[in-house]
Amino acid sequence: MAAAGFPRSECALLLVALSLLAALGSGNCAGQMNLMIPQNVQVHIINTNITLKWDWDSWNNFTVTFSAHYQWLEDCEEDRTNWTELPGCQSVTVTKCDLSSAVTDYLCNYSVRVRAERGEEKSPWSEPFIFIPDIIAEIGPPEVQLESVDGVVKVSISPPEANSKEKMWTQHSFSYNAVIWKKSSNAEPKNRAIYPRDIIDDLEPETAYCMKVQARLISEAKRGYFSPEQCINTTRASNGLPCPTNITVHALNMKFLLNWDNHYNKNVSFNVQYLSGFYKQFYEDYSNKWYIVAGCENISHTQCDFSSNVGTSGNYYIRVNATNGYNRSCSSKEIKVDPCVINEIGPPSVKVNSGPSLLRIQITCPGEENKSMSECYEFTYRIQYWENSSKPEVENEVVQQPFHTISNLMPSRAYCLKVQAFTRAYNKSGQFSNVICTETLSDQMSPLVVLTTFLIAVVVVLVLAVVIILGIYLSYKKIKYVFFPSCKPPSNIESFGGQLFSNLYILTSEEPAEKCCIIENTIQEEANPTDFKNYSNSKQSSRDSGNYSNDDDTLGSKVSEETLEQEIV
Amino acid sequence: MTCFCLLQMFFILLCTMQISTPDCNIPSLQQSKAIQSSLHLLDKIGQAFPLQCRREHVLFKFPHNILKLSQKDNVKVAVQETLQSIFYMFSKNLTLAAWDGRSLESFQNGLYQQIEQLEACSIKKIKKKPQYLRDVEANRLKLKKYFQRIDNFLKGKQYSLCSWEIIREEVRKCLQLIEKGLEGLENKLWIQAKIKNLLNEQDSRRADVKQKHPKCKRRHQDLK
Repeated sequence: MAAAGFPRSECALLLVALSLLAALGSGNCAGQMNLMIPQNVQVHIINTNITLKWDWDSWNNFTVTFSAHYQWLEDCEEDRTNWTELPGCQSVTVTKCDLSSAVTDYLCNYSVRVRAERGEEKSPWSEPFIFIPDIIAEIGPPEVQLESVDGVVKVSISPPEANSKEKMWTQHSFSYNAVIWKKSSNAEPKNRAIYPRDIIDDLEPETAYCMKVQARLISEAKRGYFSPEQCINTTRASNGLPCPTNITVHALNMKFLLNWDNHYNKNVSFNVQYLSGFYKQFYEDYSNKWYIVAGCENISHTQCDFSSNVGTSGNYYIRVNATNGYNRSCSSKEIKVDPCVINEIGPPSVKVNSGPSLLRIQITCPGEENKSMSECYEFTYRIQYWENSSKPEVENEVVQQPFHTISNLMPSRAYCLKVQAFTRAYNKSGQFSNVICTETLSDQMSPLVVLTTFLIAVVVVLVLAVVIILGIYLSYKKIKYVFFPSCKPPSNIESFGGQLFSNLYILTSEEPAEKCCIIENTIQEEANPTDFKNYSNSKQSSRDSGNYSNDDDTLGSKVSEETLEQEIV
Repeated sequence: MTCFCLLQMFFILLCTMQISTPDCNIPSLQQSKAIQSSLHLLDKIGQAFPLQCRREHVLFKFPHNILKLSQKDNVKVAVQETLQSIFYMFSKNLTLAAWDGRSLESFQNGLYQQIEQLEACSIKKIKKKPQYLRDVEANRLKLKKYFQRIDNFLKGKQYSLCSWEIIREEVRKCLQLIEKGLEGLENKLWIQAKIKNLLNEQDSRRADVKQKHPKCKRRHQDLK
């Protein structure tokens, strides 16, 4: 009965046979064997819209519904390794359902499976489809707004999924590709990279152009869907002051000069502005991030040195505008400056010394005074040299080091050479240095030179040896004289010294008391000189400092007098 | 002597051929230099790590093993992914970070330039071989998870001063690791090139001896 509607008789016959087989089978096997398995299960993701799809032959569609299960495979924050019903994908009648609410961790590995159901009958599960949303997701179209101003078209782009709450693309910023074509012509559409806020300024005036834009994640080789086509008419350029034109940048050894044309009849002054390149990646308005180049504000000449404003890391954009009283011109074309790329390498300075059959070369890298040169490049040097003859054969040598010797040359011949610096990283070759010609020394001279050198060396060594030996001898004598003198000091000095050192501690502790003694002493001396002897006797037990050595001497003599007296007695 | 000259000429030819092959890849050495300058700028954008932020200790678990494989594609992808994620991270919600605006600008500018350079190369590569590289994708995913943890942390802390300082430390570590990976790659490539040269040298010597030996002998005899 299901086959009744089919127009072709073969089909009808086949279906009848099949349904008969199915009817027979239902008597013998389990109920679920009747239903086919959904085929070709797939997941499609655009931004965060995740759709599960599968194939189902329509002729087999006897009021069948479908249900899907999912599970998380390893490596997820939350452990849900059991098969779980997919909400929104139970008993659906169409061959697709929305997974967006169930699949929330886009870096996780998911597995989904589908089966067909008819009442109590259930087909076996399909082959599971395993996917990581982040990897299979496609980028949706961006939103594009066009504005036609003064002969140019201003573009502002909103990223895909700008207005949705959940976001698939949270870690990277997109780059954009625009396809632009003239509306009324068969000209080939042109692809161009475009920034979220960009100005297309190379369009013909008063012409209709159409464009569409796609977002890209280049590192992941992903190209998004195109935005809907949009067309816009360009206008004529404004009647005010025209924009400065013919902007060029010349850079030599990291000195950056900007030049432009002055085609104004009036008296105008120019302003030069620069922008750090990364702002171009932003969706917000960055017009206030254009800064004036120091020293290039309201200038009347048409050259500006902006070396001090560009570093070696990062790109910059430069633009010029002119002002005449209150009239301000439009800005010139923006020039992208990649300092290390745009810069030209000047000639290195070279010094050459000739030797017998060889040349010694000393190279100083170009722009040595400029620190930023070495921040950009690591130089290798190419030396070209040739014999200064009627038929010169130019030889090349590539060296890393700034000191190099070219050997295997002919003796007593004139050679010329020039050197250039180059950097492989930027595939840049510098300018050649001036040609330097010099004559190699004769080889015959060399034994004589060797002999003289040898003799000089011997003499120098001998002189050095004598000086060193003399020095050692003298210092030995000095040391011996100071620390181990041959003559001994008189015994009284030695013993005095001994006493001095052994009593050092007590002496210092008694010093304040002694001061009092001196005052007492002088008073007593004045009052009664005859008491002196007694006093000094009483003083015998105390120890005096070196300051009063004379007293000590007298004391000593007095003591000896006393002992003499005692002996006599 | 003639044999030797021919051999020398062959080598010179071989060398110049190697030099002149167009090479879009920015040499790893140049790239690690750019990363070093980014690291220097990262130091300059703020002061030393604030004391009041020391209480928090968070582990973000950088996936070290992705650099250990040190295959060229792996390292390049790691570099690209890391630079992009850092650039993106440092371009929003920075108001509480209290960093030096000019240095931050230079840091962002340097990162973006590297990203642009890498992208310029990737575009050419995509056209060349569009096949799906399983290993590379798996590594990219590991890095994405790492940056997701960082992103969640910042969100959780509402982009506070301390959270940004912690992330600055983490980014420094991360850039250092990447730079080391590049250095390792450079060394490996250098060794590989050396080995290749040596093998070439041996091969050519053998070929040279086989081909030129009879002639040389004859010449020697002639001279005698």
